[in-house]
Amino acid sequence: MQKSLSYLSSAIGRKQLMAITGLVWSGFVLTHMAANLLIPFSAELYNKYSHALITNPAIYLAEGLLVLTLLVHIANGVKLTLENRGARPQKYAMGTNGSKAPRFQSTWMIFHGSLLAVFLIWHLLTFKFGTDYQIVYDGVQMRDLHRLVIEIFAQPAYVIGYALCMVGVGLHLSHGFYSSFATLGFYHPRYSPMIQGLGYLYSFVVAAGFIIPPLYVLMTKAN
Amino acid sequence: MKLDAKTPSGPIAEKWSKHKFEMKLVNPANKRKHTVIVVGTGLAGASASATMAELGYNVVTLCMHESPRRAHSIAAQGGINAAKNYQNDGDSVHRLFYDTIKGGDFRARESNVHRLAEISPNIIDQCVAQGVPFAREYGGTLSNRSFGGAQVSRTFYARGQTGQQLLIGAYQAMMRQVDAGGVKLFTRREVMDIVLVDGVARGVLARNLVTGELESYAADAVILATGGYGNVFFHSTNAKMSNATAIWRAHRRGAAFANPCFTQIHPTCIPHSGDYQSKLTLMSESLRNDGRCWVPKTPGDQRPPEQIPDDERDYYLERVYPSFGNLAPRDVASRQAKFRVDEGRGVGPTKVAVYLDFRDAIKRLGEKIVSERYGNLFDMYEKITGDNPYKVPMRIYPAVHYTMGGLWVDYNLMSTIPGLHVLGEANFSDHGANRLGASALMQGLADGYFVIPYTIGHYLAGTPLPKVDTQHEAFRAARAEIQGGIDRLMALKGSRTVDDFHRALGTIMWDQVGMSRTDVGLKKAIQDIQKLRSEFYEDVRISGEKSYINPELEKAGRVADFLELGELMARDALERKESCGGHFREEYQTPDNEALRDDENFCHVAAWEYAGQPGRTNWNRHIEPLSFENVKLATRSYK
Amino acid sequence: MASANSKKINLKLKVWRQKTREDAGRFEEISAQEIPVDASFLEMMDIVNNRLIKEGRDPIAFDHDCREGICGSCSMVINGNPHGPERGTATCQLHMRKFHDAQEIVVEPFRATAFPVIKDLSVDRTAFDRIIAAGGYVSVNTGNAPDANALPVPKEKADDAFNSATCIGCGACVAACANSSAMLFVSAKVNHLAVLPQGEPERERRVLRMMQTMEDSGFGNCSNTGACSLACPKEISFENIARMNAEYMKASIKRRD
Repeated sequence: MQKSLSYLSSAIGRKQLMAITGLVWSGFVLTHMAANLLIPFSAELYNKYSHALITNPAIYLAEGLLVLTLLVHIANGVKLTLENRGARPQKYAMGTNGSKAPRFQSTWMIFHGSLLAVFLIWHLLTFKFGTDYQIVYDGVQMRDLHRLVIEIFAQPAYVIGYALCMVGVGLHLSHGFYSSFATLGFYHPRYSPMIQGLGYLYSFVVAAGFIIPPLYVLMTKAN
Repeated sequence: MKLDAKTPSGPIAEKWSKHKFEMKLVNPANKRKHTVIVVGTGLAGASASATMAELGYNVVTLCMHESPRRAHSIAAQGGINAAKNYQNDGDSVHRLFYDTIKGGDFRARESNVHRLAEISPNIIDQCVAQGVPFAREYGGTLSNRSFGGAQVSRTFYARGQTGQQLLIGAYQAMMRQVDAGGVKLFTRREVMDIVLVDGVARGVLARNLVTGELESYAADAVILATGGYGNVFFHSTNAKMSNATAIWRAHRRGAAFANPCFTQIHPTCIPHSGDYQSKLTLMSESLRNDGRCWVPKTPGDQRPPEQIPDDERDYYLERVYPSFGNLAPRDVASRQAKFRVDEGRGVGPTKVAVYLDFRDAIKRLGEKIVSERYGNLFDMYEKITGDNPYKVPMRIYPAVHYTMGGLWVDYNLMSTIPGLHVLGEANFSDHGANRLGASALMQGLADGYFVIPYTIGHYLAGTPLPKVDTQHEAFRAARAEIQGGIDRLMALKGSRTVDDFHRALGTIMWDQVGMSRTDVGLKKAIQDIQKLRSEFYEDVRISGEKSYINPELEKAGRVADFLELGELMARDALERKESCGGHFREEYQTPDNEALRDDENFCHVAAWEYAGQPGRTNWNRHIEPLSFENVKLATRSYK
Repeated sequence: MASANSKKINLKLKVWRQKTREDAGRFEEISAQEIPVDASFLEMMDIVNNRLIKEGRDPIAFDHDCREGICGSCSMVINGNPHGPERGTATCQLHMRKFHDAQEIVVEPFRATAFPVIKDLSVDRTAFDRIIAAGGYVSVNTGNAPDANALPVPKEKADDAFNSATCIGCGACVAACANSSAMLFVSAKVNHLAVLPQGEPERERRVLRMMQTMEDSGFGNCSNTGACSLACPKEISFENIARMNAEYMKASIKRRD
């Protein structure tokens, strides 16, 4: 049993776990972002979508999966980072620079990662466990999440904090997306640059997609 | 001193097979009772360590570097010869044998050279099996190129990094044995002495370069694979740490030194550019496949090279040697470059250089193919000089590159000290007075993979070897002597650095014992070296401490040995009153400046026996006559 | 002999000095005067050391040997970059024309748990030898080889293997990596041998054993920053790491013990 688990405790095995769990969340944030784009268009659609999501029994499975993958991602990330710090106890007086400096977001994963962890708790407290307004559409009673969203996004300070966190999401994804493919062993001199490009596009779209609705709300609903 | 080459009888092509059969064997169970020390981890040392451990011997391997992979074999660029005849261009074992004997200007032992040629195909097989990524054709077969001194394409290569790839192959094979326990590897150890018990080599004394401690290692046989002594010139293409200390200390203990004056000056190196310079960088000979050597026809022509029209250029190698052209052997090409510079037609800011031009090759093949073949060399050139060789011709000049001389060995690669075997560049055996390009790698690996594994068994099985350990009196005496030498150097506290002395020695050597030599110059060199040596022992300054890592102390020991070896080289050159291969005596040349050999009086190996006293050098010269039964002694011509 | 380019510059060096492994170490300011711009970085160090010796001071210890960029001995982190600012260059191939007069140059050893400093700029890189000993070879005894052309290897594969095999084992990848990971070094060897048919029989065992040794030696984990390839004097591609990841995954799944 121990031998069979050795892959999962190896340097590459744990990295691949990071990659897989990261990709699961990359998929999740994309759908989440897409749903958020309903906010400016229609309260009804948005609420109905939310209702459908949380009443589907599969949601427990999905939430379980997300929680599990997130915990694995965080625990592994922290452990790997601590190990990596231990691999160089004496720091350099100067870091790599000029043509030998790697892209900055790649060396700061633990920082924007930590930011995202804090954001996530804040985000869940604000929305998932926020005020439970109710509304009825077509005879079906459901949570009026849209009303809560509008209330929250009408606060300029909140939106600024939220937007900054979404920039963090973008940075984290811009390295994580491409990095995951490399970690899982995909590399091709012709296609990998495309994946990297796709990763940038993807992370920009996700970050922008999350920032647009609150900005829209702030500008239209704030008084 | 008796020099018995122990050459087997019989026709040349059958000597090695016959000898392999006649040699005594050590049975597998007994092999693990024998310990063999290998000093050095270049091609010869690493391949010998790996192969002997595979056979079951206990191998103790010492290297002065922090890792065995740093050995200077790694820097060989061009390639490795083998008589595979894959190109169907008429190559054969006999032709490789013939080319090597002729290339060596008839000063090598026929039997050894033939064995080398016979083994050469096996080396390629072995290296490919190890995963050495040689250059290949699209069809998947191995690719070959031609090299100086040969009219067939028999050189296997891995871009410009053949030495690196072969060394890494041997290093890996050895590390596999380290993992398996067959090889005990000790890095950062410099061998300071060979320990003899009852006249037989039974161990070494090494300095741990980190802790400064002197350590004793006992064994049943000792193998030196420590490379050449080109660094005696200070400026050479050798690595900075390459040294002669192990072979020199062995020489002082009784190993004869053969043909010390046979030095190869490589024609294509980046020229010297200033006093700060610490070494010269080789540009592979393979460049001469497509590059053309020229100088302006008019002495003192100041125009930049691209403005000199073709009819005002002297493509001197093509002019003087129409059949070999730019692929004339190294000694010949070097001397021609020197003649051009001496005529005042040198180029570049120092005027001590000639052009190696790729303009026509780029026109013919395109920049892409030229870059595929030589890209890394061009990059290397550009980094050092700041010039782009795709645009302007390279400036090159000869530099000391390889030493054909070395410890005298018999057919079994054993020196005149029983039990002390010498492999690779450290011995003298295969290249005569001049080595052909791409033959050094071949010799190192032949000795290590395919010769010593057989002959060491023959020695061990046929020699009574009473048990000796490091507590033996001989180890204690050697240790006291070496420690005394170190203490003496450290106590001097003079005013000049080790490098100062080394540079001064190098200047004497290059001026008088370099590309061309004269009776007067050599006599002067001997006096100058003796004077420099006594100054060294009065005025050298070594800072740091002896009980921890101290590169200055390391250098001092090596330079002290070079100061004796340099003198021996000059003496050997003085006594060899002929010109042959890399040894060019101005008194002995043909009217058109070609080397004039004297087969009547000098068709022999000169083996020098050390007969000095403390504080006074002295040698006895012995000879091993060379007989040529399979190749007719002829004037070497590349015209 | 006349010098090709007589221009000289003066520099302010801030060099890491550490007497022994155990010593804490510190930076020392040393001036480098009258340095010819055509000199290499190591030749500049020689000039400085010769002065220090004449002044009765301890010269700066650093590893070096071939001085033509192939032996992998020279190390040093120069102004933050392993082997200095130029891509595809080892310290010995870095020339002083890349620096300007009065420039301050910070010179540090390669720093990693797995590469302890022995003295000044000289570090112990034997961990690399242990990694190779764990599997970086083809197990073929001398004498066992078939004819070299018996097994054709497509040129593309031979070139691919060669590109990985050009690694000089200097450790710049580890020095540059934010995590002191040796993944580029390990993967270069793994791929060199995995691409070739000769390396096929030990493919899985090799990657598993070499990675295990890397982990046990105190190197960190890869986070795909690519700093290793940027610092590599032979510009070994980051692709090697990705390919080894796949290699490792396959080997882990297929292993039977």
